[in-house]
Amino acid sequence: MVEIFQKLYEMTALSNIIADPSFIVMYLIAFLLLYLGIVKHYEPLLLIPIGFGVLIANFPGGDMGVLQAAEDGTIVKDGVAYNIWEMSLPAIAHDLGLMNFLYYMLIKTGFLPPVIFMGVGALTDFGPMLRNLRLAIFGAAAQFGIFLVLICAVLMGFTLKEAASLGIIGGADGPTAIFTTIKLAPHLLGPIAIAAYSYMALVPVIIPLVVKLTCSKKELMINMKDQDKKFPAKNEIKNMRVIKIIFPIAVTTIVAIFVPTAVSLIGMLMFGNLLKEIGSDTSRLFDTISNSIMNTATVFLGLCVGATMTAQAFLNWTTIGIIIGGFLAFALSITAGISMVKIMNLFVKKKINPLIGATGLSAVPMASRVCNEIATKYDPKNHVLNYCMSSNISGVIGSAVAAGVLIKFLS
Amino acid sequence: MENVMGDALQLLVVGMLTVFMILLIVIFLGKGLIALVNKFAPAEQVPQKKVAAMGGGVSVVDAQTKAIIAAAVSQLTGGKGQVKKIEKV
Repeated sequence: MVEIFQKLYEMTALSNIIADPSFIVMYLIAFLLLYLGIVKHYEPLLLIPIGFGVLIANFPGGDMGVLQAAEDGTIVKDGVAYNIWEMSLPAIAHDLGLMNFLYYMLIKTGFLPPVIFMGVGALTDFGPMLRNLRLAIFGAAAQFGIFLVLICAVLMGFTLKEAASLGIIGGADGPTAIFTTIKLAPHLLGPIAIAAYSYMALVPVIIPLVVKLTCSKKELMINMKDQDKKFPAKNEIKNMRVIKIIFPIAVTTIVAIFVPTAVSLIGMLMFGNLLKEIGSDTSRLFDTISNSIMNTATVFLGLCVGATMTAQAFLNWTTIGIIIGGFLAFALSITAGISMVKIMNLFVKKKINPLIGATGLSAVPMASRVCNEIATKYDPKNHVLNYCMSSNISGVIGSAVAAGVLIKFLS
Repeated sequence: MENVMGDALQLLVVGMLTVFMILLIVIFLGKGLIALVNKFAPAEQVPQKKVAAMGGGVSVVDAQTKAIIAAAVSQLTGGKGQVKKIEKV
């Protein structure tokens, strides 16, 4: 009888969980992510699939955790070595489990992030950026945090590839961070994705904090509409629809010539946007990529990223370094954007509210909404949303270009 | 370590220069596009918005809405108030 119970006990996951309590820590992390997504509504579309992915990946014997392959493609499971590059997809599913099949087919190939970018493009309106083109330059300044944190991470002991993957969190763009990490340091995918999305969810906390530390009340009260009235734009846009159709085609061509490695992200972003701007002729395609395809991609991306966070891969000092470095990257990117506005204001008559620099990182449109709230707190008539959207959208292009540079030089 | 730091600094310079260059190109490209489209494409036809008004001008507020607003004003002012104009703000 005792023997039967002993066998039953060994059959369940309980024996392994009691033998290795690190699994319990992972369950707590999974519950925390689920709580943040469900109760606090922090990026629920991503944190819920990621949280559930973490949960199911950490049941011993469940075979749902992603096994990271070494540089030469070797994976060791239960003492047996496999070469992932020589295995067929059905063999991966059979020998390594469903989640490894999904991960190596959809994530490791770099398939899902560009697909999500296509959906993001379909939901993006370049109108505010085209109306305030000069503000788009702050989308470049805000990428400074990426490269500065890269240097800090190297000093902390990360390899150059790992440091680049950590720095890209400062771009505040989830798919870009995931895409770069897959290419440069796939073993860090879980913590980097978590840090990127967590800090994006914390934009309403991080931006006001940095703004409070770096901007004066007088600067925050600069009214952009008053400035526009004092110094009106020279070129009024007479046909926005035509410009919006030509713009994605032209940007893709230019970026493809200068930074070909960024085309998979920028190209898909602009393709999605083009389908939106064409209108009724492509409305069915627009509907598909902005709903069905994007939602499907988000589900699998979230689950697979969560499944990479096994106890062995996640519970180490590297993860803590990533969490600290990610915050630093975010804060430095915001500070760099604000600093560039301040420097520019020294030389131009038409003053710019520093909040427009703070939105130079991606996180569209939450960063713009947060900055608009800050501006209206100081002056209820000072709505800066449209101006912020200009640098916010250019930040998406900027971070994708930065990712392209990192991949080109390091992969 | 020195080599790695050198590479990291090089990435900082090259990366930031590339990002600035690409976004400057995007800005000038956008400005060029606006100038070209303004010159060659016909101006967009924007449908004019109707102004809701009551007592003067064209009214687009239907009778039922007018009656509801008038009843609410009457109720709040004890019959002393009158609706002269309804404007969308």
